[in-house]
Amino acid sequence: MNLALKDARYHFFKFISSTIGVSLLLMVVFVLGGIIRGVILDSSTVVLATNADLWVVQKGWLGPFVEVSRLPKDYYHAIESMHGVAEASPLVMAWAHIDHPPASSGLMMFMYRNAKIGTATMVEPHWIDMVSELRFLLIGYEADHIGGPPMIVAGRGIEASHYEVVADVKTGLKVGEIIRMRGFDYKVVGLTKNIVGFNADPVIYARLVDAQNILFQPDPDLLRNIRRRTGGQLGGARAVAQRVEEPGMPKASALSENLHMINAIAVKVEPGVSMEEVATEIRHWKHLEVYTSARQVNMQLMGANRLIVMQLSLFRLLLLIIAGVIIGLITYTFTLDKIKDIAVLKLLGTQTSRIYSMIIQQAVLMGLLGTIMGAMMEFASEPYFPRRVSATLGDMGQMLVIITIISVLASLVAVRRAMQVDPRLVLGT
Amino acid sequence: MEQAIETKKLVMTYGKGRTKVEALKGIDLAVNKGELLAIMGPSGSGKTTLLMILGLVTAPTEGELILDGDNIYKRGKRDFQRLRREKIGFIFQFSNLIPFLTAEENITLPMDLIGTSGAKAHTRAVELLDYLEVTDRAGHLPEKLSGGERQRVAIARALANRPAMILADEPTASLDTDRGLSVMRMLRKVSSEQGTAILVVTHDERMIGEVDRVLQLVDGLVTSDESQSKAKSTATKEEPKSPGPVEPAGK
Repeated sequence: MNLALKDARYHFFKFISSTIGVSLLLMVVFVLGGIIRGVILDSSTVVLATNADLWVVQKGWLGPFVEVSRLPKDYYHAIESMHGVAEASPLVMAWAHIDHPPASSGLMMFMYRNAKIGTATMVEPHWIDMVSELRFLLIGYEADHIGGPPMIVAGRGIEASHYEVVADVKTGLKVGEIIRMRGFDYKVVGLTKNIVGFNADPVIYARLVDAQNILFQPDPDLLRNIRRRTGGQLGGARAVAQRVEEPGMPKASALSENLHMINAIAVKVEPGVSMEEVATEIRHWKHLEVYTSARQVNMQLMGANRLIVMQLSLFRLLLLIIAGVIIGLITYTFTLDKIKDIAVLKLLGTQTSRIYSMIIQQAVLMGLLGTIMGAMMEFASEPYFPRRVSATLGDMGQMLVIITIISVLASLVAVRRAMQVDPRLVLGT
Repeated sequence: MEQAIETKKLVMTYGKGRTKVEALKGIDLAVNKGELLAIMGPSGSGKTTLLMILGLVTAPTEGELILDGDNIYKRGKRDFQRLRREKIGFIFQFSNLIPFLTAEENITLPMDLIGTSGAKAHTRAVELLDYLEVTDRAGHLPEKLSGGERQRVAIARALANRPAMILADEPTASLDTDRGLSVMRMLRKVSSEQGTAILVVTHDERMIGEVDRVLQLVDGLVTSDESQSKAKSTATKEEPKSPGPVEPAGK
């Protein structure tokens, strides 16, 4: 006869309502876990989607997603010809924007308003206004090389040599939509899903040359201004050439050379060849910096997102402790309600361990049911979060173990109270 | 006749020095199997203390207690929980059934505690429910039972493990006269038919007609120990006028 289950059945509403309360708290714990995993996945998505083993950047620079490295494009030919290299792909990448409000649903607008109200006394109100530009990570890649969009969920990949892009669904762009960047129109021909930069900005893929144009092509008006100013001061083409040699003045010729620059080279190593050996060769002979993909992810995760992951983890731990305290208080209250029954059980000769087991079992049952319900609610709510939230069944399994331990510990106060119950309580009254 | 319980010079003292209170002052008592004994006396007479000692909840300061032929305190530390499970049944004033168990589960509980198999326990519970005429209430929770039905279920629970002795603490106090008498007749029937010794602590003189013996306790001493017929005639005369000494703390 399981006394814990019988009691829970008898106090069904009380037990279930308490369990729902615990499950809501545990749902938040799961959501935080999902947000943490989301941040970690966002930090690694682009790197892993590129399917490169090594990342080559300018000497002394960190990886291409962390610092802006510049390399001549033709370096990739030299690297590709090295022993052990299966493929080398020139890549261009940088954050850019277009004048296009981010996709907004009713829920998103509600969250904006909520954020605005919530921060009204903290910051300038207009800081929280809805933005009118769409920020994204633009990646340019060479046709038939690694570095392009991994999985197309709608439309197709880039086929033309110019003016086609593949965007992530998170941009809110649709297949067939035309977007204007640096004076040229680009057609969205396909969509990816969940391909974002480490800061969760969506990725837009373009051909290498298009990306170079978008990111490195100087503004024609700026060039005209420079020519006019330098020409007006000194007069004549020769004077212009002398003037632009002066430090601090941009060279018109140098600006056009930017179109032959890239940010990084993604390298695929031949099967069976040591990545470290290839990396050492490149470092030694080409005087470049080389990172493995794991190191690249590490830079993004522990460089850019380290503090947010640690902050959320601490908050998650605090919530777990609070959940434990709440389970303990509920179990204690349940036990107080049963003091007389416990006295009767003791008088009837019930084994002490059995009475304590009843209390612990109820706490554990509440914790386990709360965990399962909390996980289910978390899974159901994931799509409504603006950033990636990714909890798994594995998280639930891990939490079931943790919450069992927490519930046992939390119920010890109630057990202690039960230990103090004197069976004489029911005699002579 | 075989004795279910016997006490020899039971003394119970609370406190020390000036605060010392002698709740029992050398009680000698013997109850046979199948005998129904009423323990009566005013508040502070030591009834509850005696009940606690007989129920193995409290150990006496001095004296011997022989339960079902077993001298309890002579062999050092004993597992009183186990002895209570196996040898003693309890009936309380307010039945004190476990509220989250049905009538049948309440009866099965003591058997479950000593490891009786589910099928055997069920058979015994059905038998007891029938014996105490509450078969149709088997699946009901205590809150759905009347006061009299609750006490019958409590009697069935006390009988479940065929104990040597049943201790009943004011079993009729919360019932009206008819229901109280009905419960006492049921106890009468149980003691004579099942051969169980039943000790009833009561204030209720209306019930003494159903018992075999009446033990009068005043200030920790047995002032009379009479058979039912004699008790009836003297009970009213011996009713104490004063409330007696204050019950020690913790009683």
